[in-house]
Amino acid sequence: MMIRFLSQLGSLNRVVLYFIFLGAILSGLTSQAQTPEAEKNFQVCKACHNIDGPKLIGPSLAGVTERRTTEWLIKFIRNSQEVIQSGDPIAVQLFEENNKIPMPANPLTDEQILDILAYINNGGKVAAEFAQAAPTDEQLTQKQTMLDEMAAQQAERETRLQDLERDANRNFGTTFILTLIILIVVIFDLLVTRVIKARFVHTVLILVSLFIIGEIMYKEAAMLGRQQYYQPDQPVWFSHKVHAEQNKIDCKYCHTSVEKSKSAGIPGTHVCMNCHNVVKSGKITGTEEIAKVTQSWETGTPIEWIRIHNLPDHVYFNHAQHVNAGKLDCKECHGDVQKMDVVMQVNDLSMGWCLECHRKTEVQFASNSFYKTYEKLHEQFKNGEIKRVTADMVGGDNCMKCHY
Amino acid sequence: MEKKYYRSLEELTINPDQIQDHEMLGDKKSLLALEQEAKKNNEPNRRDFLKLFGFTVASAAVVASCEQPVRKAIPYLIQPEEIVPGKASYYASTFFDGTDYCSILVKVRDGRPIKIEGNKLSAITGGGTSARAQASVLNLYDNYRYTKPLVQGEEASWSEMDRQITDKLEAISAKGGKIVMLTPTIISPSTKAVIAAFSEKYPTTSHIQYDNVSASGIRKANEISFGEAFVPSYHFDKAKLIVSFDADFLGTWLSPVEFTRQYISNRKLHEGKTTMSRHIHLEGGMSLTGSNADKRIALKPSQQKAAIAQLYLALIQQSSQNGPVAEMPAIANELLDAKGTSLVVCNSNDHETQLIVNAINQLLGNYENTTNTQVHLKVRQGNDQVMAKLIDELNAGLVDGIILYDVNPVYDYPESDKVISGLQKASLKISMPVLREETSSYVDFVCPDHHFLESWNDFEVKTGHYTFAQPAIRPIFNTRSAQESLLKWAGKEKDFRLFIQEYWEKNLFPASGYLSFTAFWNEKIHDGIYDSGIIDPKPLVYIDTDIEGLVGKASVLTASDIDLDLYYNISVGNGKHANNPWLQELPDPITKICWDNYAAVSQKLADEYGLKDEDLITINQTGPYPVIIQPGQEHHTVSLALGYGREKSGKSSEGIGVNAYPLVKMEDGSRHLQTAGVVINKVAGNYRLARTQTHHSMEGREIVRDTTLQEYLVKPNSGNEVREEIKKHLKSIYPKKTYDGFHWGMAIDLNSCIGCNACIVACSAENNVPVVGKEQVLMAREMHWIRIDRYYKGDPDNPELIRQPVMCQHCDNAPCENVCPVAATTHSNEGINQMAYNRCIGTRYCNNNCPYKVRRFNFFDYTNADSFQGNLYDPAEMTVDLRKLVLNPDVTTRAKGVIEKCSFCIQRIQDTKLTAKIENRELVDGEVVTACAQACPSQAIVFGNLNDTESRVAKMFADERNYHVLEELHVLPSVGYLTKVKNTNV
Repeated sequence: MMIRFLSQLGSLNRVVLYFIFLGAILSGLTSQAQTPEAEKNFQVCKACHNIDGPKLIGPSLAGVTERRTTEWLIKFIRNSQEVIQSGDPIAVQLFEENNKIPMPANPLTDEQILDILAYINNGGKVAAEFAQAAPTDEQLTQKQTMLDEMAAQQAERETRLQDLERDANRNFGTTFILTLIILIVVIFDLLVTRVIKARFVHTVLILVSLFIIGEIMYKEAAMLGRQQYYQPDQPVWFSHKVHAEQNKIDCKYCHTSVEKSKSAGIPGTHVCMNCHNVVKSGKITGTEEIAKVTQSWETGTPIEWIRIHNLPDHVYFNHAQHVNAGKLDCKECHGDVQKMDVVMQVNDLSMGWCLECHRKTEVQFASNSFYKTYEKLHEQFKNGEIKRVTADMVGGDNCMKCHY
Repeated sequence: MEKKYYRSLEELTINPDQIQDHEMLGDKKSLLALEQEAKKNNEPNRRDFLKLFGFTVASAAVVASCEQPVRKAIPYLIQPEEIVPGKASYYASTFFDGTDYCSILVKVRDGRPIKIEGNKLSAITGGGTSARAQASVLNLYDNYRYTKPLVQGEEASWSEMDRQITDKLEAISAKGGKIVMLTPTIISPSTKAVIAAFSEKYPTTSHIQYDNVSASGIRKANEISFGEAFVPSYHFDKAKLIVSFDADFLGTWLSPVEFTRQYISNRKLHEGKTTMSRHIHLEGGMSLTGSNADKRIALKPSQQKAAIAQLYLALIQQSSQNGPVAEMPAIANELLDAKGTSLVVCNSNDHETQLIVNAINQLLGNYENTTNTQVHLKVRQGNDQVMAKLIDELNAGLVDGIILYDVNPVYDYPESDKVISGLQKASLKISMPVLREETSSYVDFVCPDHHFLESWNDFEVKTGHYTFAQPAIRPIFNTRSAQESLLKWAGKEKDFRLFIQEYWEKNLFPASGYLSFTAFWNEKIHDGIYDSGIIDPKPLVYIDTDIEGLVGKASVLTASDIDLDLYYNISVGNGKHANNPWLQELPDPITKICWDNYAAVSQKLADEYGLKDEDLITINQTGPYPVIIQPGQEHHTVSLALGYGREKSGKSSEGIGVNAYPLVKMEDGSRHLQTAGVVINKVAGNYRLARTQTHHSMEGREIVRDTTLQEYLVKPNSGNEVREEIKKHLKSIYPKKTYDGFHWGMAIDLNSCIGCNACIVACSAENNVPVVGKEQVLMAREMHWIRIDRYYKGDPDNPELIRQPVMCQHCDNAPCENVCPVAATTHSNEGINQMAYNRCIGTRYCNNNCPYKVRRFNFFDYTNADSFQGNLYDPAEMTVDLRKLVLNPDVTTRAKGVIEKCSFCIQRIQDTKLTAKIENRELVDGEVVTACAQACPSQAIVFGNLNDTESRVAKMFADERNYHVLEELHVLPSVGYLTKVKNTNV
């Protein structure tokens, strides 16, 4: 359904993508790259708090250090419920004012919290010494134009490729049946009716159609067990676009174990209820879909999501390896999930696809001390014999890196 | 002349024309004939068309119909903070099954325990485990466990059951009737407090501890020698000379994991050590410990007492020529030279024998040196006589109520009939079992207890040394902790966890020096261990007894009588864990037989009775038992393992072997495993025994190498001289492979490996190695990725025995790799010989080309991994849903028709590497531990990076004792072995 809809809107889609990419690049530039810990930690806060701007789930944080004492803030940030239960009047009042939505506990050290507070005071910017030297206007414009172009090209290329692949997929079935019919007719004629007298016509037709059938069967067989463009309807009409794109909730707010475990983790209903305790109505679906979440919470039955990205049992994949150690972005495998209302599997997750990426993706060779063990590679790297170290150079293409 | 091939003799003799005639049906032509006719005419026909048509349609249908199933992803409603899906957590706990003790960590993945590892913090077991501790996780998922409370065999609710039981207990108590609580040895202080609380409510209760593996003799002897019945703690690490009279301290005696660790710490020779202990072993059958001894003397069990008396006389410089052991004066001299650093131990349950042993140790000044009377080993607190008295009282109708907690006397009491008849006379019979067992079918109330991985508990295995058990999973069934049941009946509604906490807060916390109980409790539960350091203030004083009188009584029995020597083996032990397929399939470290017990006889006795392997004999009219001829067996001793022949315990143990408990001799209420003067008779028929090693010759190649300490000190590469010679001839047309970063290797110290088999079970648990059952083992199709080969050396009547763990050697020039037609087995950039199961098509060329024979082929679908149901072959019920919960989710279950083998625990390597990457640091030597190395109580297996010259494994590879098996083939294995060194003479 969705596939057809998207391909019909192909040209429009391209324009939209262009703008989206442009937007992403621009916002990326203003935040000035190098990210110290506070910015990372603030991602969790960001789900409910603005620094400057309107109140979200919780109050805006601008000037919070003037409103409250540091000591109080540290206690409250670390475990707000404890402070509220202790009967602290400010905390209780805040809790009442904000519709009694509890703020989750944050296991952070004092330094980390002070760091975050400094980050808030700085208006959501990292300290100057961590930030890159601000580029001149000229450089900025130049870079921007270049990036714009690249983004546009990239978006266009991707869309075109996807369209092509989808079309090709759809056409396989028709071609297959047509060729099959031709084959049957030719054989029937050869054996029974004998309308065409010249035998070589039969031979050529049979060979050609067999080749086409064989090719299609090979391709289809290779696709067996793969689910590219799989986009099932979920039990709850949940939009990543609304949550991740419009409300700017960080992926890790819900997929908490992505940096720790092989599994990224699907959030339990309690995570949904952090916000949906209050937010009872959505822009697109009204109250109906959120009611399902509330119902799950009230009846104590977890939501049975349909798994989209499936790997065969004999494949070992670890999110922590890719996201934490490899510093990959979610979208490199999952596509632009924050642009999807209904999530679709973008890549085919085939072994060829994995290997291709392992062959061209660099590991964190210089920055991660783990790789110090690879002495020879380091020597070659220093000598300039090799420019970069990709995953396959440290064994990323070995069978037993994924198949145990 | 044309060659003629044939499949059978019929085929050879029958004329081909006749076959054609035979296939004709009446006057109709056969299908074959029709086809040939059509071929002759050489024209396409309707059949050909249909064939082609059918093929194309079928292929189209196949392509079109392969839809993916819809898979669900169901999150938690509220995800517990400590659980990270996909990541394992470890909980400290304790394995104690009433006999053996081990401090452990439980690996829990997504809420289910999947593996047991040793707890390195333990001062007692130090990270070592035993085969049974490793296998205990599978008992949790035993599909024959009691799933609910039963009243008279009918399901009942706990509340209903409690009401009935309390009524009856109160009635008995009111009329002053006797209540007996029968348990195995309880080393849990809190459980003892629970029993005390119960006794307080019902004052007529007496608590009796019943050990089916008894140390009554030692306790009684110590009561006489020291005025207190106890088992001392032994220090095999401090002993330079160990003389053991049949005490299998490395396998089953008292605290084998602890003793193994101590014993081996004094026998390792690498890392600059030049001394090792000397071990003399005198025994009838060949035991695990005996097979590791420097000097083993075959001694008839019935002459043991006389031999010990002979030693005593020799030590006090009296005439000792008349005695069963000719070498005794020499042994006595060695002992006298090692005064204060020697240790004499004995397995006898006869207290008089143990008294002489005590006198010997006192004479040698071993107390407070190698034997500690201040710190008691708390295992085996049972008293045989008390148990015997209880059985008599039961039969006399003197006991009104009996609570059987975790004991199974109907199976393992020698006079089982008396137990059954006695039980029938008691008006209230309650059992609290974990696994299905025989005794529970004779009781009124079955109150199933939690498995230890589901429950809280505490243990004091040695004076002042405490460990804990904490639940690693929610109770799977409707069971209740036995302690909670007892508390409930005692009228104290209480959670056992809270009870333990209160007990600790009151009794153990005050002396701990901690300020807050919560801090104390949390820390100790986390570590699983609390060493209070509080011991009895002063050692017990040895009281002289009339040893001379005892020695005089110890007479030599007739030499030609046949002795029966019953023993516990290292796999099923006393039979409690018999329904565990991992243990049943574990080959015995001596005979390599699994799935059975058998009577081991000497070659001479076999000749006298005309016996061959697998013949059947009866012993005192019981049996029949299959026979094996065991090298090293004492001439007139027949050895037989206990723990088999279970009747009501589940498929993997019922009818496996024969129950030998009825042969345990009861004398003055004591259990004696050795009986003199048994009658054996050969009976008709034979019985096949499944052995995993049937070929015992090295065929002239030096596969295992050994030397003596004396030679080693002169020449460190003694026994290994051939290596120099081999190295000279090694040439290859291939360039030598080099590895950047990691080159994984494994060094195995043959001197440290005692053959306890813990590694095999650990490997099976870690790598989802299937259980194949006896029939398949008979066909040499066992699947273990690691095996322990054993070779005999020298005199067949009393041979030396050398063991060698063999797993995939991960050769750098691997012969398996270049014969695989589909490149399913390849070499990694870290030197690991990899196996991609889904690429394997099962030609078995690799298997054929492997010089070490470590590759295993899945002849059937043992794991239910196939899409085709008909291929399933699962004799041990390992694929029932419950048992499948033990599978390691990180390791693929292999389907039918593929080869598998040791992967150097690649999942553990990768996991540890990832941790290091995330923590932005280099790997530390010793951080990556394979399952086998983790389980090893003697640390015989060392794993690490060969590229790192400072790593332990690289240092062991550089040792002059190091060699590779079949190095002359130049396959460049990544597994090295260190020559075995025996301390032959002082």
